[in-house]
Amino acid sequence: MILLAVLLPMIAGLLIIPMKLKNRNVKLTLMMIVLAAVSAACVALAAGGESVCHIWQMTETLSLDLKVDDLSRLFIILVSGGWLLTGLYACIYMKHEENEDRFFAFMLLSEGAMLMVCLAENLTTLYTAYELLTLVSMPLVLHSLSKEAILAALKYLFYSIAGAFLALLGMFFLYKYTSTLSFVPGGTLDMAAAVENQKVLLPVIFVTIIGFATKAGMYPMHGWLPTAHPVAPAPASALLSGLIAKAGVIAVIRVIYYMVGTEYLRNTWVQTTLIILALVTVFMGSMMAYLEKVFKKRLAYSTVSQISYILVGLFMLSGAGVQGALLHVIFHVLSKVCLFLTAGAVIFLTGKTRVDQLTGIAKQMPVTIWCFTFAALTLIGIPPTGGFNSKWYLASAALEGMNGVFQWLIPVVLLISALLTAGYLLPITVQGFFPGKETAEIRRIKEPAPMVIPMIVLAALAVLLGLFSGGITEFTGSVASLLG
Amino acid sequence: MENIIFIGIVLLPMLGAVGSWLMGRRSKKGRDVLVQVITFLELALTLYACITCCDGVFHITACGINLKMDGFRCIYTTITAFMWFMTSMLSPQYFAHYHKRNRYYLFYLITLGATQGVFMSTDLLTTFLFFEVMSLASFPWVAQDETPEALKAANTYLAVAVIGGLVSLMGMFLLNRLTGTLVIDKLYDACKSVTSRGMLYTAGGCILFGFGAKAGMFPLHIWLPKAHPVAPAPASALLSGVLTKAGVYGIIVLCCHIFRYDHTWGWVMLCFGVVTMVWGAVLGVFSINLKRTLACSSMSQIGFIITGLAMCCLLGEHNALAARGVVLHMMNHSLIKLVLFMTAGAIYMHTHTLDLNKLRGYGRKKPVLNFAFLMGALGIGGIPLWNGYISKTLLHESIVEFYAETGLFAVKLAEILFLFAGGLTVAYMTKLYVAIFVEKNTECQEKYDGIKNGLKPSSAFALIGSAVILPILGSTPWRTMDHIAEMGQSLIMGGHAHEVHYFSFVNLKGALISIAIGAAVYFLVIRTFLMKKEDGVKVYVNRLPAWFDLEDMVYRPLLTKILPNSVGTVIRLFGENRLLTPLCRLWMRAASYVTGIFGENKVLAPVCRFAVSASGICARAAADSLDAVTLLLRKTVFKDLAPNGKRQHRALDNEETLRAERKAAVHEGIADATDRITTGFSFALLVACFGVCIILAVVLYSYFAK
Repeated sequence: MILLAVLLPMIAGLLIIPMKLKNRNVKLTLMMIVLAAVSAACVALAAGGESVCHIWQMTETLSLDLKVDDLSRLFIILVSGGWLLTGLYACIYMKHEENEDRFFAFMLLSEGAMLMVCLAENLTTLYTAYELLTLVSMPLVLHSLSKEAILAALKYLFYSIAGAFLALLGMFFLYKYTSTLSFVPGGTLDMAAAVENQKVLLPVIFVTIIGFATKAGMYPMHGWLPTAHPVAPAPASALLSGLIAKAGVIAVIRVIYYMVGTEYLRNTWVQTTLIILALVTVFMGSMMAYLEKVFKKRLAYSTVSQISYILVGLFMLSGAGVQGALLHVIFHVLSKVCLFLTAGAVIFLTGKTRVDQLTGIAKQMPVTIWCFTFAALTLIGIPPTGGFNSKWYLASAALEGMNGVFQWLIPVVLLISALLTAGYLLPITVQGFFPGKETAEIRRIKEPAPMVIPMIVLAALAVLLGLFSGGITEFTGSVASLLG
Repeated sequence: MENIIFIGIVLLPMLGAVGSWLMGRRSKKGRDVLVQVITFLELALTLYACITCCDGVFHITACGINLKMDGFRCIYTTITAFMWFMTSMLSPQYFAHYHKRNRYYLFYLITLGATQGVFMSTDLLTTFLFFEVMSLASFPWVAQDETPEALKAANTYLAVAVIGGLVSLMGMFLLNRLTGTLVIDKLYDACKSVTSRGMLYTAGGCILFGFGAKAGMFPLHIWLPKAHPVAPAPASALLSGVLTKAGVYGIIVLCCHIFRYDHTWGWVMLCFGVVTMVWGAVLGVFSINLKRTLACSSMSQIGFIITGLAMCCLLGEHNALAARGVVLHMMNHSLIKLVLFMTAGAIYMHTHTLDLNKLRGYGRKKPVLNFAFLMGALGIGGIPLWNGYISKTLLHESIVEFYAETGLFAVKLAEILFLFAGGLTVAYMTKLYVAIFVEKNTECQEKYDGIKNGLKPSSAFALIGSAVILPILGSTPWRTMDHIAEMGQSLIMGGHAHEVHYFSFVNLKGALISIAIGAAVYFLVIRTFLMKKEDGVKVYVNRLPAWFDLEDMVYRPLLTKILPNSVGTVIRLFGENRLLTPLCRLWMRAASYVTGIFGENKVLAPVCRFAVSASGICARAAADSLDAVTLLLRKTVFKDLAPNGKRQHRALDNEETLRAERKAAVHEGIADATDRITTGFSFALLVACFGVCIILAVVLYSYFAK
């Protein structure tokens, strides 16, 4: 079953190009069936118990294994759901683009790789999947083959490889100090040896986390994100920003909470530095987004900032922090995918790419901008939408779990960033709905249903899950209590 | 049953909003009636809830919503429903020529539900939830007209709402952390035991920021004098009468629960209250725009209420007068502003201007308008026998009481300013009344006289119905207002009260002083300094310079220019292009330099040589791959720069230059691309090397240290 979830999209992806289906509808239907099947498989996996799937024994100690545990349950649902909705959207969006076969192929391949990252049972598998993900998602950035896209894709590649190198280094060391490379909640570090060699091990762990956080766009390895995400076609941007960037988050959780253990890092310079870097990213990302005028770039900077919210939560090394982080993962996926899809819809239907061109846009595409508004409110964290819950947990985790300067610094940075988020998202809604009298009456553009449905579903989920947050709060709480 | 009623109060208007919107797409008339029916049902339901399930409690645990009905909450939910009902009676006529009424009604009803939620909430989180929905849903009211001023005011409104909301949310985080609860009734006990008062004041300050902004407290009042005049009149009435009170609700929780009997907090609130009270009144005196004057008046009256709340803190357990004054002044202000703004709306819908000079004489020979406006003016001016007098007397007496207790000059000053602000209220209301209902218009008096009241029956009902309440309440204080004040104590927690002789000389004295000040200000300042002769006619002029505006002077430049520019520059410095790329180059230089130094050293030379050759290999590989990239670029990206068929049709003599240009462009493009790639690539290498070096250094160090 696990293997099915991972291999099905990969095989489908590999088959798309050689099959060369002439009939577009047949091709798309097949793709949607695959995506739906993967989603169904993921739901079944998440609903079932813990299970392990052994793929390949590389050496005596290194092996590729997949496993369903609480963390991967959450992520596979998000990933498969996100891909399903984005796939539906892409059916329309990619109509005008060239080489859509290639796009769909790599989109499916990325889904397989991403699911593998989520389901990885040990560090070796995680690393392999992580590298695979970089390689198969690069063509998504590259897709338009414009100068900008190629450069951005190369930048993405270089940064990711640099990050992966760093992570690989860490792997070598961790291998020596841990009893196994498998992920066990609470960590598998051999404490006696680790404490003795703290001076070596701490920098190694630091470097590993920085390496994995590259995908999550943490300062100083954030540079690729605002370059690469906007140049991809909108569905790909949505996937990259909303979901693929979360691969970094998963890796960081796995390293900190499933290998090293929180005890070893608590109150060390590693924790301090990482929190500072994440806070810098939070602030910088939202400030750059505030200053940015290109719609998709603004959203990409917003991703830089928002994912570091999650990282801040993780680096607090407490149960409440993890809970806040996981909640923010959920709501960031919902809102950011939705935002990129709306941006894509605007570009697809009107060709407008800059924020200042969007005056009166809601008269043309009210449904789209409504979805945008709800997703934006979620991202800002205004109740009753969902982002409010995650920020509540993050802030209270900081107030309760941290001491010294971070106790107030984290909430203050989160607050300022939330204000900036409001500052860069809400004006789009406002000028969209209230263009002022001088603009002439604009014709309504009808959005195609496959484009609108994913946006509505995501926006509605963002609001409804916020309103009825009992279930997910309980679930993330149970994961967090296991780790924190 | 209780649960259904409570949730019904919130959900009925919200569902009704959707219903009215759908209805509005079919029939405008039907929609208008439907809205009236919904607001009426809401009023009935609220009254029913007040009577049958007073003290009932309602929880939805899944989303943490806690609602309750008790004395104060009964009063305010009823007032809210009543005001919505009355404005819905006026709306059809007012909006007759408006576009996009559907949008207006949609948000009109959603806001009603959210506001009821705010006033019924029993814990701050629920309050906040509904408060935010209310703030956001009322935003389209302000922007309804879509004129540049309306949009600007709406943006200010939204900015204040969002910033205020998030800051007060932060305060609630802190408060929750300090006390472990946000349930209003438990806050007093929980806060008493908090040892770190500093943190508690910080939390309180943050919460005050959000609620104070909505209430229109100085210096966060900026949205109020802008948003009220540009919003449609029924909306202004609600913004001013109800939505500001939602802010006051939060301030009540702060003053009467979190900081009950806390002197420090009381003094701070007293300062805010007095400044808001006086500043609002001064702005009101200067203004020559009908609705702007009323808006400034709202700000000033909120100042009175905040002053009263400060007295609740300062007077300790003997705060009965202040506590009752606060409840009554809130209610009075809501009812009075309802009348005044609706009258203003009734005027605006025929004249389409709010300028006092143009409105002059409009009210002559219009008994309904005259009656309604006069009732409102007398009420808000604190004239005996009208309701405003009762609440102002209570508030005034509480200050006098505190002065008698302490004998501090500051309190005396507060009392003087209180009477002064009351005087200014009389002055600007006289200004409005005289201009509209007494003076004659030199240009179009006949046209104005031709409009007979200009009200449809439902509108006239709304005006008269809400106006007659004011003198009824004001002349029977012991039968009506005392009971209402007593009910309100469920939230304000005032001490035990003794009977007040409202019409004794001691109490009348305050009102008389205010009226005297008002008359003096009107004749000495308004008729002279604030009017000038133009073509033989005295016209009202606004002597406040246009730049004199806190928002344009401070807030807007700060938020839109200074902060982004300064912080943005710093942030860009730390971005990759300014910091990381030069760092990368510096690293390379330093590496070659260091290699040069150690060239002769026996131990380090081999190490360096190794490093150099390693990086040489890397560089070679990089260079080779770059060549490949360049080739790739030529084949793909720069294809479009190569000569194509269309361009060759150009004139022959241009061909040489064109080709050269194209060639140059291709080369430039490639150079640019390779440069960007090398920096990206070298940055990646650098980071990887950096990691390796750190670990290498640490390993070596720990090896030698052993």
